[in-house]
Order: sequence, then C-alpha cells, then structure tokens
Amino acid sequence: MSASLEKGINALKQQIDAPIATFFSSCVHCGMCAEACLFYTETGDPKYTPINKVEPLRIIWKQEYTLLGRLGKLFGIGETVTDEMLTEWESLVYDSCTMCGRCSMICPVGNDIAYMVRKTREGMAAAGHAPDGLIGASKRAITIGSPMGVKLPALQAQIGHVEKDTGMKIPVDVEGAEYMCLLSSMEIMNFPEYIGAIAKIFDHAGVSWTISSEAFEATNSGIQIGVSEIAAELIQRVVDAAEKLKVKAVISPECGHAYMAIRWEGPNLIGRPYSFKVFHILEVLDQLREQGRLKTRGMEKARLTYHDPCQIARRGGVLEQPRNLINMIAENFVEMPDAGKMNWCCGAGGGVSTNERADEIRLKVFQRKKDQLDEVHAEGLVSACSNCRIYIEEGLEEYHMDIPVLSLTETLAEHLVDK
Amino acid sequence: MTQITNDIEFRRAIDGLDYARQRILAGRFVSNVLDLSTDGRIERVVKTTLDAGASADQLTEALKAARSATMDSYTRCGAEGDWKEQAGYFVARAATAAVTPESQSKGGGPAWQAAMSSRMARTSILIDNAEQATSHESEQQYRILAEFLNS
Amino acid sequence: MTEVEFLIWVRGPGFQIASVIFVAGLLLRLFEILMMGRKANLAEAKGSEMKSGLRTILSRSLHTSPTRSSAFSQTAGYIFHIGLFVTILLFAPHIMVFHDIFGVKWPSLSTTVIDAVTVVTIITMFAVLAHRLHNPVIRFLSKPHDYLAWFVTILPLITGYLAFHRVGMTAPSLIAIHILSVELLLVVFPFTKLTHAFTLFLSRWYNGAISGYRGVES
Repeated sequence: MSASLEKGINALKQQIDAPIATFFSSCVHCGMCAEACLFYTETGDPKYTPINKVEPLRIIWKQEYTLLGRLGKLFGIGETVTDEMLTEWESLVYDSCTMCGRCSMICPVGNDIAYMVRKTREGMAAAGHAPDGLIGASKRAITIGSPMGVKLPALQAQIGHVEKDTGMKIPVDVEGAEYMCLLSSMEIMNFPEYIGAIAKIFDHAGVSWTISSEAFEATNSGIQIGVSEIAAELIQRVVDAAEKLKVKAVISPECGHAYMAIRWEGPNLIGRPYSFKVFHILEVLDQLREQGRLKTRGMEKARLTYHDPCQIARRGGVLEQPRNLINMIAENFVEMPDAGKMNWCCGAGGGVSTNERADEIRLKVFQRKKDQLDEVHAEGLVSACSNCRIYIEEGLEEYHMDIPVLSLTETLAEHLVDK
Repeated sequence: MTQITNDIEFRRAIDGLDYARQRILAGRFVSNVLDLSTDGRIERVVKTTLDAGASADQLTEALKAARSATMDSYTRCGAEGDWKEQAGYFVARAATAAVTPESQSKGGGPAWQAAMSSRMARTSILIDNAEQATSHESEQQYRILAEFLNS
Repeated sequence: MTEVEFLIWVRGPGFQIASVIFVAGLLLRLFEILMMGRKANLAEAKGSEMKSGLRTILSRSLHTSPTRSSAFSQTAGYIFHIGLFVTILLFAPHIMVFHDIFGVKWPSLSTTVIDAVTVVTIITMFAVLAHRLHNPVIRFLSKPHDYLAWFVTILPLITGYLAFHRVGMTAPSLIAIHILSVELLLVVFPFTKLTHAFTLFLSRWYNGAISGYRGVES
C-alpha cells in the first residue's frame, strides 16, 4: 500500500462517527437521492447518485467498524479501497458535488449525504486526490492569506478606490467596533463595489464596523478541499483578529461556503466556542431592517426572483431574511419553483468553480437553474453569494439568457435614502 | 464653461442626462481605459457605444460581445489573481454597462457604472504595478464629462 | 428425522438460535454505531437538536416524491412495509407466538383480510424487484446483498401463504419451512441493510438534529 493511500485510508477511518455509521447502516439503495441531485438530473448518469459518491467511506466503515467487515479484512476477502478507486472517485467527489445538501433533505432514511461527502473529501485530500485548482488555492490561502493571492496592498488599493467613490472612510483595524467584516477574494477582485455597499449601509444605519488588515479573507479553501488542518488555521486567523479588535460580531460576506466555514464549522475546527457572534451580512441587514434603521426609497420595477445560495439557506438557516430585504426594494418579486430550503444549487459551490476540470459538467447542469428561471419568467435575479452570482452569469451567457444578476446587498445600498 | 471637481457634481451632472447621451458619455469613459484591455471586442463595442445613430440591433450585438468579454476575463474563484488581467475584466464590465438597455441598467445608469468600472480598471493596474499611488482616473473623468457637457 | 421432529426442532432450538443471533446481532450493530461517538457541536445553535430530530423521524415518512420513479418507490414502499406490518403483527397465529414469548396479546384481523394483504404484498415485492432491476440508478447501486435482503424478506410471505393454504405438502412440513424461512430472515437481518428497520430512527434523528441546529427544518 502506498504511503499516500495509507494516509487516505487513515483519514477516512478518522472521519467515521456515530452518524456516519448509522447512515451507512440505514441506506437501502433506493436511489431517491439521485433525483434530488442536479448532477444526476441534468446528466442522467447513475454514477452521480449522491450515495455512490461516498463509496470509499462506506468501504472503510464496513471494513473497520462492522463484524462482517472486520472478519472479511482478517481473511483477506471483501471490498477494499485502492488508489485506482480513489482516482476514479476524485471527480465524483470534487467535480460533481457542491455539498449543496439537497440529497440530505430527500433521503427517506435520513442520511445526511452532503455531510458524508464533506468527510470523504478529507480522505481524498489526505491521499493526494484533490483537484489542482483547490490544492493551489489552499496553498495560497495559507501562505498569502487569500486563495486568489490577494495581498493587503491590493485590498488597500481597492479600499482607496471605494473611499474615493463613496466619499466615506473604510474603517480598518478599528478596535472596539461592533462588527468585523470579512471579504471573499472573489468580491475584492471581481465585485469590489460590495465594500462600498456595506460602507454606505452601515453609515446610513449608524453601525460601527471594521475590516482587519490581518484577517480579511472569508473564503475557506480548507473546507472546500477537505483538509481540516488548513480550514482550522484559516478560522484561527479570523478568531485571533476578532479577539484582538474586541468586536462583538464577525460578519461573513456574500459568499456561501464562507458562512458555513466561519459560522458552523469554525468552533468545531479550532476546538472551542467563539467569544463573539457570527452573522451572514443578510442577517445583519435584516436585523437593521427590524430595528427600523434602514430607510429606503424607490422600488425595483423589474420582475425579480431570488436564488438561495445552498450554504446560506438550506445548510445555513438564512431563509427569511433575504425575502424581507427584497420586499423592501422590489415591487415585483416572485419566487422561483422550489424556492427556499429546497432551491437548486447553482452548480459552482464547494470548490467546483475552482476546478477547471469540472467546467464542462458545471455548465451542463446549469440547465436546472435555467429551467427554474424560465418557469418563473424572471427579468432579474437577486442573490447573496458572489460565487453563485458570477457562475450564474456565466451560465446565463452560455445558455443565451439575458437576465441581469444582482447582489442583494449592493441593490439594497442603492435604494437607501441619503442622510 | 462647466467645471466638475468632485463626485457629487459628477453624479448630479450625469443624472441630468438622458439615457442615450449617457450611453455616449459612458463610451468616452471606456475609451479612456481601452488600452488596459487586450480584448479586441471591447474596441468594437466602444465604437458602437459612441455612435449616436447606433440601431437597437447594433446595441444588442454590442451588449452580447461585452458580456462575453466580461465572462472571459473575470478571475476564476480560487485561481491565482492577475491584476493586469483584472483590469481587462473591469474594462469589459464598463463596456457592458455602457450598452446595457435602460430596463436592465443597474443603479446610477450606464455612465456612472461605466465610470466606476473604468476607475477600477485603472486601480487594478496600480495594484499590479504594486504602486501605492492612487489613481487619477476620476479627475480625467471629470474633464471628459465637462468636455461632453460643453460640446 | 420425521417431519414432526423437524417441526419441533424448528420451533424450539432453531427458533432460539435464530432469535439469539438476531438480538445479539442488532445489539452488536447498535454498539458498533454508538461506540463511534459524536463530537459536541461548539457553534452557537439556531434551533433545538432534539425537537428537530424527533420531528424528522416523522416527517421523512411524509415526503412527496420528486419524480415518477421515486413516486413508484415511495408508493410500493408504503404498500409492502404496511403489508409486512399487517401480516406479521395482525395475524392471529403470529399474535399467539408473540403472546408465548412476551406475554402480551392484541386484536387480530380476519384471515380473509390477512390473506388479501399477503397477496398484495407479494405482488408488490415482485414489482419492487422489477423496479430494482429496471431503473438505471437503483440497478447501478444494487449489490448481491440487496437481492439477498429482498429474498429473505419475501420468502416468509410466500411460505406463509403456502402454509396457510396447505399447498403442495403436509401442514407440518409447510409450517416448518415457513418458520425456517423466518429464522433465515432473523439470522441474516443484522448483517444486511435490513438493520434500517431499527437504525432509521437514529439516522433520521441525526439528520433533523444537524439541520435543526442550524435552524432549518429537514
């Protein structure tokens, strides 16, 4: 057995807990999870059945933690995990799964298959079977502080630009501010107007906030690739900065997996609860709305619909807030079919968009999002994840659809009454 | 002779223009940063933008080209960012904003959006050159706007 | 061995052995699961784990099916599961067996009804097998052990039906074969996916707990 395969198998072993063991004990091979997964529904290929994606984990569970499996291992019979298998499964686990969690909602026996995929990735990555793009992103995240290599001077330049445009000062390293805002590299590079938008909103609502020069990155490549040590290191940086600046809460920006990382996995990765709260920007904006601190004027007239980013909505619990906020500024808001916790994934999250090898299948399965938009006759799409946003834009372009894609935060900022 | 010296005046003056004139103004902003893009489609889009007599079909074609150029030039999530190429992305975004029809235009209108994206293109080059200096693109845009209003 | 001796063995030692393996096997599986443990969740909760877990145990049975194929799976699943429940627990001779072992009794349904339910269940199980063989996803997922589980589940239904209607052999032999088929099911049960009959309460609970913690009803 090669050293890397051994590492992978050990990593898979470590991932097995009581839920995993229960899930594998309960699976009856009914195949319903396939019907929930857009990678199956848009390709018709049974290998994309969610429970199939976690076969390596199942084999290790059987072999190590069941009587028959252990007997089989003793006598050298039964299934084993090989390098060939991991090679074959790499694209199933990384290219055709975003950990969107629709399968977890559908399984009749209650298997949380997205949870199982997350754990399978740990074994894959330990065995060296992760996509190049994610490996590069993780390395840059650790060494530079951003998976896209965005260094502090670049952020400062973008901040300088935003300050000039908005006439506002962007607070950096302000101790005692109420909120510390994280930014995803995607936003810093592709949608820097997000920074201006939150500056405008917070100024309007009288909220004290800051960015930390030592930990501004929201994206957690460790979660995407499935290496908990990397994920933990990235979280620790944010925690250290938040504690240093003594903020009350950390705000995760318009990015899906970043929220999952900092809000839900973070404390478990570093082994202790936070001394501060964590919110998605939409949660904060909705709190401000509830407190009557957001005054808006004018309404978007176009027929707008909302895309629920999977990690924020179904896997994160932020479902009502975007709707409350959209209704403040849109007079023609319509829900797409399956809106809310069963909304369909954009196909690009969880590291899929970082993985060039997955481009073809990602664009293919976008058909599902297109079908939703066709059914609702949307004239515009609003969302709250910059990854969803750019990859929906790309998908729309690929399928020759002419719908603008808007950021909820930026659109809200545009409708604020000037003070 | 109209003088624009800050963004408040800048925005107000732009808001006073009708959509067709804003489009042409937007084209001028994009022209100023055209050298930051290596995508030949942008130049053709800008030509259409500056053409007061451009037909609806021509504008639609230009929008398609600009959107394609934008999609081809953004930095992939998790990929190593190249700020020089990002400049090209922002130029494409500016061009897209310039030819976006009124019904789909984001807040501020085509001229404002094109101006903002053009400034970001300039900032991107500065980041790439690791320069600490702030960009003077906005001052150049004030001049462009003043010339436009006085013509 | 005469057929009566065979029947006595099957009802006595055979049943005891099978029951011991069944119970021990299930307890072992439960132990294998619980000994893995579950780390405490250190993130701030948005909702209650217990409430959400319990709710999911029930709500997963009420899901609507996304497509025609899963509509078949769901409908057929309901029919044969309910059929098994009825034939096993509401048939007078079976209730007498439970009474002998556990000392409790409950009302039974008429044999006419049980007979009809048995036939419907058997037919449905053949339909389920056909679906497993025909549907590309389910066929892809299926391993020998899926077919084994199907076989040991349908066998008691068929042998029970034949025993009741005295088809082909004498009563003692038919009953012995039927009991033997049940013993086969009991012995195989803990080592196959049939454990879902017990573990699904736990897996649905975990699902609801994990999701409910994050404030989402699953």
